[in-house]
Amino acid sequence: MKGLLQIHDPLKPKGHAVGIDLGTTNSLVAAVINGKPRTLPADEGGALLLPSVVHYGRDGGVVVGSRALALVPQFPTDTLKSVKRFMGKSLSDAETKKLGSYKFLEGEGVVRFEVAGGNPVTPIEASGEILRALKRRAETHFAGRVEQAVITVPAYFDDAQRQATRDAGRLAGLEVLRLLNEPTAAALAYGLDKGSQGMFAVYDLGGGTFDVSLLKLTDGIFEVKATGGDSALGGDDFDRVIAHEVIRERGLVDPSPSQIATLLQLARNAKEALTEVESTALMFEGRATTVTRAQLEEWIAPLLARTGLACRRALKDASLKPAELDGVVLVGGSTRVPAVRKYVTELFGRTPLADIDPDQVVALGAAVQADLLTNASRQDEVLLLDVIPLSLGLETMGGVVEKVILRNSPIPTAQAQIFTTFQDGQNGMDIHVLQGERELVDDCRSLARFRLTGIPELPAGMGRVEVRFQVDADGILSVSAKEQSTGLSQAITVKPTHGLSDEEIEQMLLDSIDHAEDDMQRRQLAEQQVEAKQILVNAHKQLIENGDLLSEDEKRAFVDGIETLEQLAAAAKDHLELKAGIQTLDEQSKPFVERIMNRSIQRAAVGHRIEEY
Amino acid sequence: MTYFELFGLGPSVDVDVPALEAKYRALSLELHPDRQADPKARRLAVDKTATLNDGLKVLRDPVKRAFYLLKLKGVDLERDEAGEQRQMPIEFLEEVMDRREALDAVRAAKDVPRAQAMAAEVEGLRAQALEQAQKALTADAVKEATHQLGRVRYFTRFLEEVEAIEEEALAAP
Repeated sequence: MKGLLQIHDPLKPKGHAVGIDLGTTNSLVAAVINGKPRTLPADEGGALLLPSVVHYGRDGGVVVGSRALALVPQFPTDTLKSVKRFMGKSLSDAETKKLGSYKFLEGEGVVRFEVAGGNPVTPIEASGEILRALKRRAETHFAGRVEQAVITVPAYFDDAQRQATRDAGRLAGLEVLRLLNEPTAAALAYGLDKGSQGMFAVYDLGGGTFDVSLLKLTDGIFEVKATGGDSALGGDDFDRVIAHEVIRERGLVDPSPSQIATLLQLARNAKEALTEVESTALMFEGRATTVTRAQLEEWIAPLLARTGLACRRALKDASLKPAELDGVVLVGGSTRVPAVRKYVTELFGRTPLADIDPDQVVALGAAVQADLLTNASRQDEVLLLDVIPLSLGLETMGGVVEKVILRNSPIPTAQAQIFTTFQDGQNGMDIHVLQGERELVDDCRSLARFRLTGIPELPAGMGRVEVRFQVDADGILSVSAKEQSTGLSQAITVKPTHGLSDEEIEQMLLDSIDHAEDDMQRRQLAEQQVEAKQILVNAHKQLIENGDLLSEDEKRAFVDGIETLEQLAAAAKDHLELKAGIQTLDEQSKPFVERIMNRSIQRAAVGHRIEEY
Repeated sequence: MTYFELFGLGPSVDVDVPALEAKYRALSLELHPDRQADPKARRLAVDKTATLNDGLKVLRDPVKRAFYLLKLKGVDLERDEAGEQRQMPIEFLEEVMDRREALDAVRAAKDVPRAQAMAAEVEGLRAQALEQAQKALTADAVKEATHQLGRVRYFTRFLEEVEAIEEEALAAP
């Protein structure tokens, strides 16, 4: 036994590596077991889908999954759904203005929700709770540690959203091996199953995000040719459209958070029912509203048109025509909606594939990638070559964005751009990093700002600064700037404008470690209490049945031992103390147990069946 | 090391693109960070793969490839101070101005079919200029190549603007 030192042994394998689909509506965890990717139970009762819902209780407790989902109508503002929509966003984002029952805390920077039980929480922390729940379920499944994960993100996630996801993984105590794009994960799951070759389109419509990716599969290499999408468009919007229609039809003015939460849930049920039937009734506040499949198709048509725009753009970026595709793959629960299937069939001119459960396919692909990255013997099989989804650039004169890395460039990638000073004697330069396709700063996503200082004072145009962008295999950006004449270099850590600072993450990590220790302490104590109870019940039973085997002195000592443990079990604050008490009584009972065993054997020998004892 | 050398090719305006892509996949298998177990090797691999990715981007596209060859011959048209080296004839500049004005009118009228027709014409002109640039590069006629690639650049900008107009029209329902 190496004791505590073992915990820090870097050579020790980190348990099982899993793939996690951190979804808007549901989350899943999968792992490769005996060479095959499998989805693991993620929620109570062995369900594979863990609803991505986090409830914050008044007592400070946190509940995740279907139990949290059940608390939505009662505690609409303390129960967070679809937090993925808010990853990497600030309160000024349009996303916060959509129909929903959240209570936001006013302020700059990252979105914070006001919930019961103390501090406001960020989407990163709520996502961290979901990841932690999945990690625990997987650990229970393997009866071993799980410390490494591949977490999937929509391909269309920008840098801030990716950073936020990685931070959530850190908060959950996971080493994030890779942020894998969801459509790529889906292709990986399909590719390995079928050994396909050719050009594929993956149409991924989840609860809150839409992605399209075009991939080329050649001899085990998955090359993403282009990707596109809308990180704020998904099945949740279908629910909202239905809810809006009911609100309009009923003439509801200013519905309460609880009415909205109920309506959204009813709308979702109606949407799901319409996958099977042509018409359904939505019962709200004692009255029924009929919703038909044709109505739903009409209502969501503008949303589907937005997915079509993204698909056409991706095809154009990859210089492809729909006819050149070898297959179209459907991913995401929202692709179950018949209107979506119909739309995709028309858009690409072919019937899409949906052999693998669209809810599970992303997690399965993530598990495959986790296995590829951690299992040296599998490294030769498959390689993923992914791209960056959105262009990265810098602000230049007049609020115009100069693109440095173009969207759909393969990653990792590095590009440098030279900027010159525009004033005589200028000794500093503001560097504003942006992401997006539009030309004006105001229309792009601001990722970070920093200032390079100490430029030698030169006439305008003579000071030259090289700004270098590097994007790693996770699609995360780092920026450095270098003054050319002096070689003065400033490596700058990009602080995401809408994320958490490193200090905040550290503090949250410390808090969560404190809590984790508390939690573990409590759980271990509870386990020992159960064990103490069992041993005490048994001791009482044996004393009654076989007490005659003990001398009076022995009996008195044994009874004292039982009483000591009873008192300890009621009062112990520490599991180790209780464990020691259990061992003491166990030791003390050994001679007694021996005599009981002997008696049993003797009785068995004279014709009694052993089962009687 | 030039991008041509990286892919085991000689400097040329002609590149067999499918062969280039096959070589890219082979090199990726060797250089990609996911293939490295050691963290230090992985960091180095990020740089190497970044160079490989950039090399593919430049060599796969005939226009970027021509600009890159010209750069290897000492003229970097990507840099702003190379402006004088372009020295386009005044007639060409006038032609460009006329086209720009026509395009502005089309943009204001949101006339996508007209914009596409103009794009088709300019695309033809760009292809001719590129062909002449490639001939000049092969013959090592740097001045002529610079002039023709300068034209390619103007035409490319024009096509980008047409594309922006199309995108605007696509985005607006």
